[in-house]
Amino acid sequence: MSDIVLNLSYNIKYQTNYDRLLDYRAQIGIRFITRRKGSLIAASLAVAIAILVVQVNSVIFQGLYDAIVRDQVNYRFGHVYITRQENFITKSDFMLVNWLQRIPYVEAAAPRVDTSASINATVNGKLIRDYAVPVIGVDPVLDKRASTMYQTVGNGEYVSFRNSVVLGALVDRDLGSPQVGDTIKLKFKDQHGNDILRRLTIVGITSTAGSVGLDNSIIMNIDTLREILDRPHQTQSILVKLNDATKDKDVKDLFLSAFPSNADKFKVETIEESAETTLRGFRSGIALINLVGYFGMMSSAFAVVTIQMMQVTSKTRDIGVMRAIGAKRKDVLLIFIFQGMVIGAIGAGLGTVMGVTYTVYAKETHMTFGGSLPLEVKYNWPSIIQTDIMAFALAIIASIYPAYKATRLEPVEAMRVG
Amino acid sequence: MADYVLEVKNVDKVYGQDETEVYALRNLSFSVKRGEFMLIVGSSGSGKSTLLNMIGLLDRPTRGKVIIDGVDTSALNDNQLSSFRNSKLGFIFQSSNLLSDLTVLENVTLPRKIQGSMQNAEEESKSLLQTVGLGNQMYKFGNQISGGQAQRVAITRALVNKPAVVLADEPTGNLDSVSAATTIQLLKSLNRKLYQTFIIVTHDRHQFGEVDKVVTIKDGRIVKEEMEASLT
Repeated sequence: MSDIVLNLSYNIKYQTNYDRLLDYRAQIGIRFITRRKGSLIAASLAVAIAILVVQVNSVIFQGLYDAIVRDQVNYRFGHVYITRQENFITKSDFMLVNWLQRIPYVEAAAPRVDTSASINATVNGKLIRDYAVPVIGVDPVLDKRASTMYQTVGNGEYVSFRNSVVLGALVDRDLGSPQVGDTIKLKFKDQHGNDILRRLTIVGITSTAGSVGLDNSIIMNIDTLREILDRPHQTQSILVKLNDATKDKDVKDLFLSAFPSNADKFKVETIEESAETTLRGFRSGIALINLVGYFGMMSSAFAVVTIQMMQVTSKTRDIGVMRAIGAKRKDVLLIFIFQGMVIGAIGAGLGTVMGVTYTVYAKETHMTFGGSLPLEVKYNWPSIIQTDIMAFALAIIASIYPAYKATRLEPVEAMRVG
Repeated sequence: MADYVLEVKNVDKVYGQDETEVYALRNLSFSVKRGEFMLIVGSSGSGKSTLLNMIGLLDRPTRGKVIIDGVDTSALNDNQLSSFRNSKLGFIFQSSNLLSDLTVLENVTLPRKIQGSMQNAEEESKSLLQTVGLGNQMYKFGNQISGGQAQRVAITRALVNKPAVVLADEPTGNLDSVSAATTIQLLKSLNRKLYQTFIIVTHDRHQFGEVDKVVTIKDGRIVKEEMEASLT
């Protein structure tokens, strides 16, 4: 009876179909490592932790990069940003916006005018006269469709009527925290160089996480600003929001083919181009952080080498016996390579589970950077798979040297010292 | 012409060079017929294990030839030697040297797996294990059975590829007297039943009783070669 139970448990445990189908070298390699649970756990964890480090780096720093891209798209540039190489766009913004909105990939487009004005502000307790502040003129209707700036107005409302302004939170602070309903006096210069003084009513305060929006600016009605600058119907930029962000180059090409740059001197940029200055530093940072992750992976490879060397030492006698009964050097090599494959596969699997769990956590908890900027967390499957393949390959590569050492053992010596 | 399964011709094994040169074996020659049960005896350090390593192709002689089943093994490369060991030789070591991570049955089938001839391997291994009285132990791991049982598994493993010669190095050295007697009985019965050639290294020839041939080695030289007629 006990024999039947033993036989059955053996069949369940070791004599399953996959075991029968496996090459004996794979079978022995798997058995060697799976019956040394400490070594298996240590080596697999080394691989898994390396993958986790890469994944966490990716979630945080790629998430931060994507968050900055997202905010630059939403607040400043759209997916495609149209300006004119020289001066203002003189073509009708109404016509351009309508033309753009006929492109199927375009969700909305909105004109903007940028200038600066001076105000009297108190900064760090000191009154500063003619404190320069950026002023953005927006179309109250179109801008709400093309940008999410209006959602950042936590106090009050977005620019609505002609003489209304929305203050950026930093400007509001520097002005001594005026409230919605108060008025401020701004001094502009029109296109002829004349000073224009205007008293405008504060209708809202805009504040964005990480101050990546227009927190240091004043937002006002585009028509009021055009009138102040004496630039009727002129536009400085058009931001275009797409329903498919991957089509930015297509939209750019379409626009430039319709409005050739030699005639209209339009400058059309995708978000990668328009936000290049901001993003360049982050790209270098991400590359550096990824490098740190890959160094972590190299460390895990060293851990695998060490554990595999210990395996070879503990299996020296078995190697000698196998060689004596006819195993070739390449058979011994394959046994330890298969061990590396088991370590790599389990480590990669475990690392993926840990990495994806962290990503789920980051996504579900709306993880922020610096306590304010919400990260743009994505399940980057190609990157996850690439990391897994790299970790798996590294575990195999790390097994080559110990496996080679095992093949150099002479049977008599191996059986004597093992 | 006699049916020699093993011929050792003028074998020297020298360790070191020039002044440090030490002869472990010196000009050894003998031959073994198919189906013989032969002992190599000698005291510790006499060179009997070194000789067994030469015959087992685990080490190469400095000079001379080892011919097994008509093949001059001195011309074989490392891979060919491995294949030759697998198909022509069976090994029984002093300690059973079973792979502790494999079951008894897997240990026995291992030479067949290495050979790549798995047809009926499991059935034949099971049958051999039944023959040596281990039919009920085949799913245990190597470290879950007694020393005597492990040595019987090692004997089965040595036989599974139907080798030309089975080499045993002090096969009873690590066993108690009862297990040792059982093991010797088993080896002799397999010799008779399977007409299997056995070459056994031992320091205690009397343990084995009647055998076909005894070669006595001292200081790396054959000092006595006794045949069946003189032994009985």
